[in-house]
Amino acid sequence: MGHRRRRRRLVATLAVTGLMFGTAACGSGSGSAGSSDPNTLEVWTRSNPDDAATYERVFAAFTKKTGIRIDYQPIINFDQQLQSRASTKDLPDVMINDTALMGSYQSQGLLKPIDPDGIAGHDQIDAKTWASTVGIDGKHYGIPYSRQAMTLMVRKDWREKLGLPQPKTWQDMLTLAKAFATRDPDGDGKKDTYGMVVPGSAQNGYAAWWGASYLWQGGARIVERTSDGGYKPVMDSPAAVRTVTWLKDNLFCGDNGVIQPGALTAITGTATNFQDGNAGMYLTGPYNMTTFDQTIGKDKYEVLPAPAGPAGNEVLADGENVYFGARTGKTEQEQALGAFLVSPEGQRLAMTGGEHQPVVRIPVNTTLDAAKVRNDPRWGVVQKAYENDSVVFPNAPDFAPVKQDTADALNALFTYCGSDVRSGLKELNDTLAGDLKDQDLLK
Amino acid sequence: MTATVTTPGARRTRVLSKKALLPWVFLAPGLLLALVFKFLPMGKGVWLSFFKVRPFLGDQWVGLDNYTRVLTDHRFLDAIGHTLLLGIGQSLGAIAVGFLLALLLEGQARTLKIVRTAVFLPVVTATAVVGELWRLLYYPTSDGLINHALGFLGLGPVQYLDNPNTALWATMVMSVWMLAPYNMVIILAGLAGVDRTLYEAAAMDGVSLWQRLRYITLPAIRPALGIVLTLAAIRGLRVFTEVYVLTGGGPAGSTEVWMTRAYTLGFTRNDIGGASAASVVLLCVTLLLTVTVNYFRKRGDVR
Repeated sequence: MGHRRRRRRLVATLAVTGLMFGTAACGSGSGSAGSSDPNTLEVWTRSNPDDAATYERVFAAFTKKTGIRIDYQPIINFDQQLQSRASTKDLPDVMINDTALMGSYQSQGLLKPIDPDGIAGHDQIDAKTWASTVGIDGKHYGIPYSRQAMTLMVRKDWREKLGLPQPKTWQDMLTLAKAFATRDPDGDGKKDTYGMVVPGSAQNGYAAWWGASYLWQGGARIVERTSDGGYKPVMDSPAAVRTVTWLKDNLFCGDNGVIQPGALTAITGTATNFQDGNAGMYLTGPYNMTTFDQTIGKDKYEVLPAPAGPAGNEVLADGENVYFGARTGKTEQEQALGAFLVSPEGQRLAMTGGEHQPVVRIPVNTTLDAAKVRNDPRWGVVQKAYENDSVVFPNAPDFAPVKQDTADALNALFTYCGSDVRSGLKELNDTLAGDLKDQDLLK
Repeated sequence: MTATVTTPGARRTRVLSKKALLPWVFLAPGLLLALVFKFLPMGKGVWLSFFKVRPFLGDQWVGLDNYTRVLTDHRFLDAIGHTLLLGIGQSLGAIAVGFLLALLLEGQARTLKIVRTAVFLPVVTATAVVGELWRLLYYPTSDGLINHALGFLGLGPVQYLDNPNTALWATMVMSVWMLAPYNMVIILAGLAGVDRTLYEAAAMDGVSLWQRLRYITLPAIRPALGIVLTLAAIRGLRVFTEVYVLTGGGPAGSTEVWMTRAYTLGFTRNDIGGASAASVVLLCVTLLLTVTVNYFRKRGDVR
């Protein structure tokens, strides 16, 4: 009898354990506390813990000022998480993420249109910056929050040692790169230095992200707006052919050492040659300065405007926008947060992270000066590049497929030195036309 | 009379049903976990493959559209060749190297145990870490370990990963390095079961090493090889992480495999429906392959 009872108890225990596993599995994902409380905003940013610490300071100041509480969630795999929240039809109230994602989010219906007039202090953001948040239908879908433009980081100590001037043109840059590769600028007697760093992998579209600035400087664009509101691919233009040919012949298929070895499979995470001290130049975003200051030292490198190509020295600009989740019903509170984030106070807090990473690079608020706020003249170079010589990827369409296909094509052309650039770009153009057609944007 | 006959019968069925129930009760937690975390998501994946997936606006039924798109996309068709070459190459390579390692490291000595543990380490290391490690090994200048070694032989530095002709092979070598020790353990277990007297008899008959392997060892470890082959069939074609961390599918798409393509489709192009369809196709092919391997294994066992 005791035997049977013991068995029954065991069965009961197992059943309860099973149920507990079951409820635990169902219980996950419903942790959005306070989503019904009108005075609490759920805010998501794509941030690592270091960025998150800066955001927390900003939101604490906002809550102190307005009494609106913030349920803040820093999220690393932002898009996967957002998709799963989208399927429950309950989006975060406010999101801060890349400008390039706006078209994709809008086409999925995730965003609420934004009326700039409803954002206090909207006139402190200039027209060019506001224009970057206009969607396909002409409405705004984001509030500009942080901007950045590419600049050229150069090893100043190496350059001065070799007695060469700051590069002003593509040719200067190439000469300097060759000198860095061959004239032993680090003086260790070994041929172990390279001209410049290139994240040339097609993975996540890096080749297009890096190559865009050169395309702009060569007078080319990837897609162009047509007069009737559509887009057309223009990667088969003579300017594009000329630019890609120059890059291929001089950087990828030219003298050894002009770019770092392994560039064709390098992404920004693996292209660490500049901070490792064995490459002399890097055209990249200013967010890297914090790292470079620590690894190679503030006095060892300089931040310069990108060298000019045949059509000027325009560079790629990007950044982050503030987005409002669709159908959240808290517009007023969201607008208050938006206004605070772009106000001089909000921007200043986010630009000076203390010991943490700043989350606003170039302020969108025109009353602020990046170099003055940070007391660092190098930021003035970045701000000037953004204000005067920058072009963004079109954010209104879903640009991700266009960027990925462009990266794939560029990577392939750079890999095969015998490839025909003209026919390769013609093929790319047809692919891009297909991408735009999928979105009903091809005109 | 009838009553006395039925009573024990009824009791037996009750006992039987309890007995039949008990294993299921024990299995319940595991099954429940598998259901929630494996089979439901898998079913959902199959379901999504028939839709244009728009989580917020509501999914749109598109029938077999995703499948036709995937199966006619030239990038996917290119990936088939790479996937087959890499899948078959790494599986056979890992079996051959695993067999060799097992032969070398069979035995009871303590030193052998230490070496076996060391050799097994790649299996328990995260693939992302292994990828970074091999990126360093393959570093395309004389600073890279492999190129440094080649330098001693007077051979110039080789661009393993940045050359589209060698990138896939370089990936294969890394995969073999990662997978072989696992096969080694299974084959070692098989070797332990080989009847020692057969070796002794063979030694008396004066057979060569090759003959000993061919006529004694290989037939004796058939079951172990069967398991290794089945495992290879299951995981050979779904290769992803190795490629993703080592080359990201590049250069010029020369290492793009089926799953990296599906990943790009799903997560950089936001086409979850298409990615699901691609994954379902792979699931079907893998299932077919596993069933085929098992069929031949069973037929061989009967013979």
